[in-house]
Amino acid sequence: MRIPDLPTRLARWAPAAAALAGSALLSGCFWLDGPQSTFDPNGPVAREQLDLFYVTCWVTLVIFVLVGSALAYAMIKFRARSDADLHAEPPEQHHGNPVVEVSLIAASVFSLVVIAIPTLRGVWFSYDVPEEEKADAYEVTATGYQWWFKFEYPNETAQTVDPTGKLVGAALTTGSELVIPAGRPVHINLRTVDVIHSFWIPKLAGKVDMVPNRGNFLWIRADKPGYFWGQCAEFCGESHALMRFRVIALGPREFNDWLNAQMAPARTVAAAAAGAGAGPKAQFAAYRKFRRNEPGYTDRFDVSPLDAWRAQQLPGGGEDPSMIAKGRELFVSKTCASCHTIRGVAGAVGIQGPELTHVGARTTIAGGLLENNRDELHRWIHAPNDVKPGNKMWVNGYLKNEIKLAPGDEDALIAFLESLK
Amino acid sequence: MSSDAAAATIDHHFDPTTSTGIPNKKILMWAFLASDCMFFGCLISTHLIYRLHPPPGTLPARQVFSIELTSFSTFILLMSSLMMALAVNAIQKGNLRSMRWSLLTTIFFGCIFLGCQVYEFRNFVYEKHLTITNSILGSTFFTLTGTHGLHVLVGVIWLSGMLLYSFTGRLTEKQAIDVESMGLYWHFVDIVWIVIFTAVYLLEYI
Amino acid sequence: MEAVAKSDFLAKGESAAKPLVLWRPTAKTGLMSWLTTVDHKRIGFLYGISGLFFLIVGGIEALLIRVQLAVPNNTFLTSAQYSEMFTMHGTTMIFLVVMPIGAAFFNFVMPLQIGARDVAFPRLNAFSYWTFLVGAIIVNLGWFMKDGAPDAGWFGYAPLTTRTFSPTHAIDMWVMGLQLLGVASIAAALNFIVTIINLRAPGMTMMRLPVFTWMTLFTSFLIILSFPAITIALVELMMDRLFGTNFFEVSNGGLPILWQHLFWIFGHPEVYILILPAMGVISEILPTFSRKPLFGYPIVVFSGASIGLLGFGVWSHHMFTSGLGTVATAAFALMTMAIAVPTGVKIFNWIGTLWGGHLSMRTPMMFALGFLWMFMLGGFSGVMHAAAPADLQQHGSYFVVAHFHYVLIGGSLFALLAGIHYWFPLMFGRKVSEFWGKMSFWLVFVGFNATFFPMHFLGLEGMPRRTFTYDANMGWNLGNLISSVGAFILAIGIGVYLVTLVYTYYKGEPTSRDPWDARTLEWSLPNPVPEYNFRVIPTIHARDGWWYEKRHEQEVARESVEHAKAEDAHGGIHMPFQSVYPFLAGVGIFVGAIGTAVIDPADHSLYPGFWGPKIAVTIAGGAIMVVSVFLWALEGAEGTHIHLNEDGSVKGEDPHAGYAPRH
Repeated sequence: MRIPDLPTRLARWAPAAAALAGSALLSGCFWLDGPQSTFDPNGPVAREQLDLFYVTCWVTLVIFVLVGSALAYAMIKFRARSDADLHAEPPEQHHGNPVVEVSLIAASVFSLVVIAIPTLRGVWFSYDVPEEEKADAYEVTATGYQWWFKFEYPNETAQTVDPTGKLVGAALTTGSELVIPAGRPVHINLRTVDVIHSFWIPKLAGKVDMVPNRGNFLWIRADKPGYFWGQCAEFCGESHALMRFRVIALGPREFNDWLNAQMAPARTVAAAAAGAGAGPKAQFAAYRKFRRNEPGYTDRFDVSPLDAWRAQQLPGGGEDPSMIAKGRELFVSKTCASCHTIRGVAGAVGIQGPELTHVGARTTIAGGLLENNRDELHRWIHAPNDVKPGNKMWVNGYLKNEIKLAPGDEDALIAFLESLK
Repeated sequence: MSSDAAAATIDHHFDPTTSTGIPNKKILMWAFLASDCMFFGCLISTHLIYRLHPPPGTLPARQVFSIELTSFSTFILLMSSLMMALAVNAIQKGNLRSMRWSLLTTIFFGCIFLGCQVYEFRNFVYEKHLTITNSILGSTFFTLTGTHGLHVLVGVIWLSGMLLYSFTGRLTEKQAIDVESMGLYWHFVDIVWIVIFTAVYLLEYI
Repeated sequence: MEAVAKSDFLAKGESAAKPLVLWRPTAKTGLMSWLTTVDHKRIGFLYGISGLFFLIVGGIEALLIRVQLAVPNNTFLTSAQYSEMFTMHGTTMIFLVVMPIGAAFFNFVMPLQIGARDVAFPRLNAFSYWTFLVGAIIVNLGWFMKDGAPDAGWFGYAPLTTRTFSPTHAIDMWVMGLQLLGVASIAAALNFIVTIINLRAPGMTMMRLPVFTWMTLFTSFLIILSFPAITIALVELMMDRLFGTNFFEVSNGGLPILWQHLFWIFGHPEVYILILPAMGVISEILPTFSRKPLFGYPIVVFSGASIGLLGFGVWSHHMFTSGLGTVATAAFALMTMAIAVPTGVKIFNWIGTLWGGHLSMRTPMMFALGFLWMFMLGGFSGVMHAAAPADLQQHGSYFVVAHFHYVLIGGSLFALLAGIHYWFPLMFGRKVSEFWGKMSFWLVFVGFNATFFPMHFLGLEGMPRRTFTYDANMGWNLGNLISSVGAFILAIGIGVYLVTLVYTYYKGEPTSRDPWDARTLEWSLPNPVPEYNFRVIPTIHARDGWWYEKRHEQEVARESVEHAKAEDAHGGIHMPFQSVYPFLAGVGIFVGAIGTAVIDPADHSLYPGFWGPKIAVTIAGGAIMVVSVFLWALEGAEGTHIHLNEDGSVKGEDPHAGYAPRH
């Protein structure tokens, strides 16, 4: 009937153009160096993986430009422009062109080879610590639990009591925060006690799964000291989204200091150590109230997490020895001790929950979810199920053992946990 | 076209109403058996994979199996395949009487096989203490051979149904394809057993 | 549906009353006609309607997910509800939307494309649909029960799905439903295979088959060969859950990795089960609207075959993070890259088809071109996944979510939406308004990209999938917000699309035969298509048979007069009898599945011995099914012969017994 005029034609393409421009704009707006961004590698494994990603990006981009231009050209050039066009004699009925076909196949094979070569190199490189660095590799075992990670140092033996009360040596154990030496390859054995989890520290390396009855492992190396976010990457049940952890890489001396501090049994606060003044100093009565799913850390924490971690290693002021002592008793009497180990507290030998000997020195609690401060500690032990739905402390602890904590009990427990530097 | 079909002798390997000349039911059965191969393939793989990764304390399979009995039932099942082939041949020649006898023998042999399996299962559970829940071997063994047993049972029911149907007078040479596709199924069940017998039983004696 | 019912041409003839037939339903309209239908077109409609219904259900689930993720630390859904949403969204969209809508086309279009009057086993076809429906209901039953819907992800990794970690019946229903959907798919696929191999019209050689029919054939082979793997995995899981076997029982030496292997041996071919029909639809639409034959037909067919074949050798690329070891990882990475070649070849050939054509930009063509662009992008991110070390960062993140939505929405769904528009005139004799059709396309296109493009970045920024909430400091806020807004645009687009369809069904502009000037045989039929499809079985002289026919009218007319005479001499057009048994067998399966999956095991103090309600209901269901199948067998594949008037209406009908010749 009529040839569509220019505005109509423009209007037809406008949404496509808008979509393209929008996407381009969007990609610029994204914050590509977030705490878990793979665009900001801090170790050789993540860097190798990112480089390979860029190779695939460039190859596909070139193909996209070539094929896309051909497609766009065909769409514009061969469009029927009028009704007459549509009812004209059909175009020549071509059935194909073997030469074109074969050369295009050859071209695709070639571009895949370009990707395949670095892929193969990367497969071997990401898999295990390179042979020449094996001697220097540090060994750690990470174990997935619903919904937190346990970390063991098989070569560091700390003294602890076993359930029969005998003093034994056992691998140094910690939870939710993995401290590693920077600049050294770290070989991490991946285990799980329940379902499949996946261990992912985006800035250090891609993920590897923790599969029951399977001995997986992963290697990482942090170029320099740093504080890295990690998260479980395989759906593992109700609180999968809240199963997080941190990796703290330290220089050799600092790492050694940390190890030595960790080897010691739980810190006790004698009356004298608490400084002058008597009577309860800790007046915790006004805890913050939290909404469900409210973020677990303050903005201050984000600015310099490694400094926050360092600060956390030192005892805070104003500790109240009597309250801490009460907390220590409550820890056993309220059955916390049946799931949590605290080396140095008689009876605290449970292994279902994270080991808490030095929990006060960690930056986070509740499986890397909450910042380790008084409000968050209260939030966590006051109503665990609001923080982490379905968690075992709630289901197998509070509910099963019918644990009720009076406000005073909570204060004492918090004071005790905070003292465990 | 159907009216023609009755006229002359019937070619049982060519159906003029289909594009390929192969009867629909035959292609259906072959395609189904291809699918069934994958079912058994997965079960057999499961068994073999767990055989390679036995948890500690697994009962050695040789202590459980009684190869003599199983060899006997394997032989019986093979013979039933022979009788099945005779039945197909008989119906294709229109010999209903001969087909009935062959079918009856096939059913009889199938029942012997099932009987042996029931005996074997009871023996394993009550004498050898291998149950479906107490070990991986029990789980894979009973599931795999049980699935096969279920196939034999379905086959026996189908054969019996066909045998009964033959007395209604509606089963004639023209319906030979029904018996033939049933035969395909039966042979397949037999062949699968040969594979299972090798992979599950004989492998333990190498 | 009324449209078909209107073409009610069968006089209420005396049907053959045979001693072994208990009941021969003859209703041509009303509920009974649908429950007892064996007509491939009606069964196609049933699949299509179910698929579109579940598209709405799955879409609502998706929107709830996007509302929850729109802002960080949202509390719109609890984590338990969120798990149900993404599990059911995945399960629904894959098994209850893309597969049945694909099956709707297989049913409706494929027999017409090869010049057949029905599929090879019409009652088996009906049985497939009813079993599918039962499976769909069982999977969704949890929404209405206190146990809740399945919540372990659509690939239900053991041991999370074992009784230790998922004690409620939700997973039982998921397991049972998926097994039934597998049975339904396999039964349907067997039928399609026989139909395509054996019911082609004279002259329709394999290399003249329309590409959609080829893709139906490949898809069917993929179904019969891959579904057993998931069925066995599900059987093993069900045995673990019901009878305490040890397949995935970790403490007794079970290997959860086995589930992953079995699942993905099915799961990867499944991806091609979802995309090959889409490629078939595209290969029909592009030539029609370019008015040119498909470029490189044999190569397109061959690459479809090689995609299907290679699809069985790449499953472990879903498991690169599960610790396969270097050699296996490298091998699967290379195999996966190899699959990009035939896929790329298809894209080249589609562009070749456009090249030099007269492109008419109608709604189906818009969706088809949208498919080309989006599927290309999905393919590129697929190649990125094939680079295994890079995939260690992408696996289980939103990058993967972006990738498979580009392939499954931008690919499969776009093609299916294109196909619905394309074949709508043939199905219902009405044409969709171009304005509203294009409007829905642009809304879907823009909404889709806004939803899923940002997810690439979210994934690379470290956002894992299946997380019900995230913190505000992760750099994921903007991407998620855009994505959620996009999801609503997409939903509005789908809404406009569906409303347009419904409107068109009732009020749309009636069309004549072959409104698109198409090329394949189905367009030679009047619309709506009469129950007997072809007045005379056509003879095919070329690929694109109808295109040839339109250019050789006299020759074809002469031929068809002769064939009509020959056919009449052989008794007329054979039509299969309707049957109620496929439906009854489905009812039996439903009852049995409820018994197995939903009812609690007997409390033995109340129900001493074996006969708890669980066992009783299961056995009752099984018995109904067995009896139905038995009666189905006795009833036999009989039918009737009809004779037509000049105008295509039915002159008369001979009750006809005996084994059915197909033509």
